[in-house]
Amino acid sequence: MSLSWESTVIAIISFLILYWFLNKYAFGPLFGVMEKRRQLVLEQMNTADSSRKAAEQQMEEQKAALQQARKEAYEIIEQARTTSSKQADEIVQTAKSEASRLKDDALKDIESEKNKAIAALRSEVGGISVKIASKIIEKQVDEKAQEQLVDQYLKEVGNK
Amino acid sequence: MHEFPVVQLGPLNIDISTVIALFVSVVITMLVARLAVRNLSVTNPGKMQNFLEWVVEFVHGVIASAMPLNRVKPFLSLGLTLIMFIFISNLLGLPFGITFEAHHVNEALGITQELLDEHHGEAHVSFWKSPTADLSVTAGLALIVFVIVHYLGLKQNRKHYLKHYFHPFPIFLPVNIIETISKPVTLALRLFANIYAGEVLISTILMLKWVGIPFLAAWQGFSLFVGGIQAFLFTILTMVYISQAAIHDEADEHH
Repeated sequence: MSLSWESTVIAIISFLILYWFLNKYAFGPLFGVMEKRRQLVLEQMNTADSSRKAAEQQMEEQKAALQQARKEAYEIIEQARTTSSKQADEIVQTAKSEASRLKDDALKDIESEKNKAIAALRSEVGGISVKIASKIIEKQVDEKAQEQLVDQYLKEVGNK
Repeated sequence: MHEFPVVQLGPLNIDISTVIALFVSVVITMLVARLAVRNLSVTNPGKMQNFLEWVVEFVHGVIASAMPLNRVKPFLSLGLTLIMFIFISNLLGLPFGITFEAHHVNEALGITQELLDEHHGEAHVSFWKSPTADLSVTAGLALIVFVIVHYLGLKQNRKHYLKHYFHPFPIFLPVNIIETISKPVTLALRLFANIYAGEVLISTILMLKWVGIPFLAAWQGFSLFVGGIQAFLFTILTMVYISQAAIHDEADEHH
């Protein structure tokens, strides 16, 4: 095997031509496409990442909203419970006071009726006793004396 | 063994088989590459495009193993051209040979009287071989690598590139020069020897006629493997040499 510099030169030239050709017409476009695909994948990954983040955030928000709603519901129930118990207390209280008032009124009425009855009885008794007295007196007192007595009574009444 | 036809073209001795082989492998490489990038698509690559992209990824990995990842890009085309061209060249000599039995002097094809005398009046002239089975061709490739390595070394990394000749002591200059020269020489010889040996063995097995068929099949399979390995080796060694000469990293500072 002998070295021939012509072959070497031809080899170098053909390799350079091949390199130029491949670089320009094959690898250049191919690298471009691969780079484009890389960008595409990167972009899609970024999009996926951001959408995942957005979804996560939304999830978080949803959870917070749910928590809030739950809390509010609990508060409302609690409030209703306290209100209802307060109302019940109030109703009971009112009923109690009403009852006691009614009882007091009734007692007062009884008292006043009693007093009235006592007064009526007293005046009745007075009238009766007067009548009895006058019946008794009628027999003993004459016309003149009775007139005098009536006058005296009238006077007394006028003075009063 | 076969003789290869050499044509006298003025002062030049043109080895026709080498020229044919170079032409054919260049054309096949171009065709393969062009077919692969015919319908380029970002989202839906075809089979050939996928294949070439796999090759690109592979070469990218090979180069990245020799130098930092951010420096790979400019050498990707070179690595790809090298590996594709050498691999296709290596396979070119495997499937068949075109051989003439020449009994007459034919100066146009370089068949001289001396040649005929040497082979007892019957010269086997072959027009077909791997271009890489010719030391001149592999020397050309190694020369390209040599020029690239030292040009890049001088241009991008002058201080460390020049310093490396006097490393670790100035007295080592001859050793370093021998090392520098031995690199392209071994590059050329390794590729040539592997492929040439393969082809020699193929033509030897062919002499066995029918008996040799299983051996031939086995050896052709092995030559396929060797061709791939040698293309890979040439490429990665090129990248390693470029990396050694042209790329100086802070990580290498302690050397």
